[in-house]
Amino acid sequence: MTDANKARGDGLSEAEAIERAKQGDAEAFEALYNLHKRRVYSLCLRMTANSAEAEDLTQEAFLQLFRKIGTFRGESAFSTWLHRMSVNVVLMRLRKKGLPVVPLEDTLETEDEAPKKELGAPDPALAGSVDRLQLQRAIEALPPGYRSIFVLHDVEGYEHNEIAELVGCSIGNSKSQLHKARMKLRELLKTSRAEKAAKP
Amino acid sequence: MNCAEFQRVLAEIIDGGGSAEQESHLESCSTCSSLVSDLKAISGQARALQASEEPSPRVWQAIDRTLQQWQSDLDYIAEQARTLQATEEPSPRVWNSLEIALRQEGLIRQPQRARSVVSFFERWRMAWLVPVAATLLVAGVILSQRGDQGGTQIAVRPQSPPSQSTSTNDDQQVLEAVASRTPAARDTYAANLRNVNAYIHDAEQSVQADPNDEEAQQYLMSAYEQKAMIYDMALDRSLP
Repeated sequence: MTDANKARGDGLSEAEAIERAKQGDAEAFEALYNLHKRRVYSLCLRMTANSAEAEDLTQEAFLQLFRKIGTFRGESAFSTWLHRMSVNVVLMRLRKKGLPVVPLEDTLETEDEAPKKELGAPDPALAGSVDRLQLQRAIEALPPGYRSIFVLHDVEGYEHNEIAELVGCSIGNSKSQLHKARMKLRELLKTSRAEKAAKP
Repeated sequence: MNCAEFQRVLAEIIDGGGSAEQESHLESCSTCSSLVSDLKAISGQARALQASEEPSPRVWQAIDRTLQQWQSDLDYIAEQARTLQATEEPSPRVWNSLEIALRQEGLIRQPQRARSVVSFFERWRMAWLVPVAATLLVAGVILSQRGDQGGTQIAVRPQSPPSQSTSTNDDQQVLEAVASRTPAARDTYAANLRNVNAYIHDAEQSVQADPNDEEAQQYLMSAYEQKAMIYDMALDRSLP
């Protein structure tokens, strides 16, 4: 039985844990938390680039889950339902903080944030040399608008139409900002590698 | 196709693949080739970050504390709610109206006239509608009694209740009103009025026999209340 079907620790299946959690069973809540905490926390951490805030948002997302679990009807996978709820919790927080959740339109983009065009001489390729830690740091350094789109698409696997709905932008804008986010990440990774190489 | 043209459609190429012309440029251009391979590497490595972090135990501890607080609040609300069970007494009007309606429907029989005045009048303790006549009667009797006890002889006749003839006339008018609308109900109302008049008569006698008997006074007032209610029902002025 996989994690998706088996809640850790007490032998409850996810479906059983959901039904028991709907009745207010505290152990079932804990089982669901253990089953989904990594995915939710990682999402919060990638989107905010701040571990304290990610912990706070994880807590908020699960409390919201437990408040609303009675409305879960099984029309989608529980993990999908929970994940979407978590994304909304994070986006709501970003909006409250005044951070750009909706990607900047081309005309509003600052020159500093925009990735540079790549028309010059070829650089050594990154491929094969991007490790997880480097990428994680580069994502943290992305401007918030780019970071949201990149995390939702490339890390969490949302489609552009879903992202457009979640963050409230057009599909074209989501595509365009994703490309710019990737280009910006490439630039950040190259800079990082160059700095590393320059160290004695 | 040159590099600028290629890079304008780069996003589509990364996510969906390119045309033959784009593929051809890619094979011949190391700059664009390097770019595509870097972006694909970034995108591919990104998925490995999904669910890669473990939250601190503090997160569950905080959630658990909140859940316990919620549970405690819910338990308190439930406990308070249970204390509300069966705490409210309906007004006697509810049963009065119900009983009269049931009698009219023939669903319950006329009660045998209880010789125990107490048991009957216990149902008619209503403070909201005290017939003036009953008050005057009781007051009159009390004054008369006090007059007897004091030295001064004040000729205060016990205030009579609405005289038998007045009461009968009123009853007749009410019964005529009932008969004009629902003739079938007239006999029921007539029976109800006979019963209540009999109780009034008994209660009046009790009060006159002992004007200080508060219980008897209460029964008398209740009897008048019942009669007033029957009038109300008969004249379609039942309470909401």
